Amino acid sequence: MNRLLVGAMALALGAIPAAAQSLDDLNIQVHGYAAQGFLYTTANNIFYANSSDGSPAWTEAVLNVSAQPIPKLRIGVQARYFLLGSSGNAFVLDWAAADYKVNDKFGVRFGKVKTPWGLMNETQDIDPSYMWALLPQSVYDITTRNADLAHYGAVAYGTLKLAPSAGKLDYRAWGGEQVIPADDGSFADLIAAGNGPLSSLNYVTLGAALHWHTPLSGLMVGASDGHANKASVALADETGPASESFTEWNNVSYFAQYEKDKWMLAGEWNRQASSGVQNFTDDPSASIDTDPRAWYVMATYKATGKLTVGAYDSQVVDHELKLGPDRYSKDWTVSGRYDVNQFIYLKAEEHFIEGTSLSFENSNNTVLKPSSKLTALRIGVSF
Amino acid sequence: MKRLFIALFFALGVLVLAGNAHAQAIVIANPSVKGTDVSKGDLKDVFTGGATSVNGSQVTPVLLKSGATHDEFLSAHIGKNDTAFRAGWRSLVFSGQATMPKSLDSEAAVVEYVAHTAGAIGYIGKATPHEGVKVLAVR
Repeated sequence: MNRLLVGAMALALGAIPAAAQSLDDLNIQVHGYAAQGFLYTTANNIFYANSSDGSPAWTEAVLNVSAQPIPKLRIGVQARYFLLGSSGNAFVLDWAAADYKVNDKFGVRFGKVKTPWGLMNETQDIDPSYMWALLPQSVYDITTRNADLAHYGAVAYGTLKLAPSAGKLDYRAWGGEQVIPADDGSFADLIAAGNGPLSSLNYVTLGAALHWHTPLSGLMVGASDGHANKASVALADETGPASESFTEWNNVSYFAQYEKDKWMLAGEWNRQASSGVQNFTDDPSASIDTDPRAWYVMATYKATGKLTVGAYDSQVVDHELKLGPDRYSKDWTVSGRYDVNQFIYLKAEEHFIEGTSLSFENSNNTVLKPSSKLTALRIGVSF
Repeated sequence: MKRLFIALFFALGVLVLAGNAHAQAIVIANPSVKGTDVSKGDLKDVFTGGATSVNGSQVTPVLLKSGATHDEFLSAHIGKNDTAFRAGWRSLVFSGQATMPKSLDSEAAVVEYVAHTAGAIGYIGKATPHEGVKVLAVR
């Protein structure tokens, strides 16, 4: 309820000056997009879908409404329908925020706002904005992204122009409450085992990100660090009380991107080490410590006005796990995107995956094979 | 036949010259915007959502929906084609970081809007009449 109030207050504060103006002056805009995907894997099922038989269970649709009653103030809300395999299939609030930008050096957004960690977190769920059908899963895991995308609170942001020979610096600082719904993909295996959370997992989050646009035109380097306070949630269990608890943990990223002519090169290193325990009545204090260290490098090339091609290598190793395919995921990907016009696009992608650390859930696989190929197709329309 | 070739050659030359004249994009701004020029970096930042001020004035970009002037402006000053340019704006809009700039159908409409909107900044072909706006040189 508190979170609903925060969102409502953000919109109401924005609406005060809006109410005094005619609709024409509010610069009300409506945008949206929809995308349908198809997944086929040669071995294991992926993303909770029956992908080894070929699965179209990958659908999303987004509606965005915004207004700008005065030049320095924007208000907006975005809703999403998302289906991936057997997860999702629901409408969710992406964000609802008011944004007051004093000048280029300082602005603040508040409400439910996107969390700006890493190179791509703010845009990782915006399919029309990038060429890949799937972003590098080592850092931007589509099955658990709801836990990363947005938080209830605020983001302060701005751009500082450095000395003429030193480029400029974008900064972001955020704080608030992170809420992971009880039916989130993060809990898929617990839910499948009948031990799903009895409520959402909530914790306080703080963080900052810097993007330095260097004097070398097109080169940006950056870093972000997000801190999460300890948290716990009660789990369903027939034998008695059960819970899952985490200590404080950090989400650290270092990244760089270089754009020149028709080329774009990017890379990121990320670590999200966390320590936790699951307590069941008949199995107390089982460790769920994780220490995934992930990275990717990618390159894209705009072959024609409508066709972009690219490739990436995306890898993650969980240093808390024993040696074996469960400990790592290594994903070589080749990809292409064709923009039919400014509204419609097509994507096709082939993944060569070694290891089962990511995306191949125990709940929809009887036996996990150590390697698999994934074909991902996507068609989208945006306006 | 010879006269036909000469006529065709002449007509082609006129078309090429007319096309070039039309495609030479200039940057215009409402008279409230300070200064007589704009750096290429600031111009790119404003038209890609990275900044909202030029020479200390708050500005609002306005776009052409399509056409030779639009393509020439993007190529010369933004370094992207229309598809990549609009994809960049969509990522800002759908992540809650910006509002999509107005897109107008004609250069005359851009002049009209810029002339009557404080802080507006746009682009038109050099040959398009532009009463009531100031031209910003790109340095």
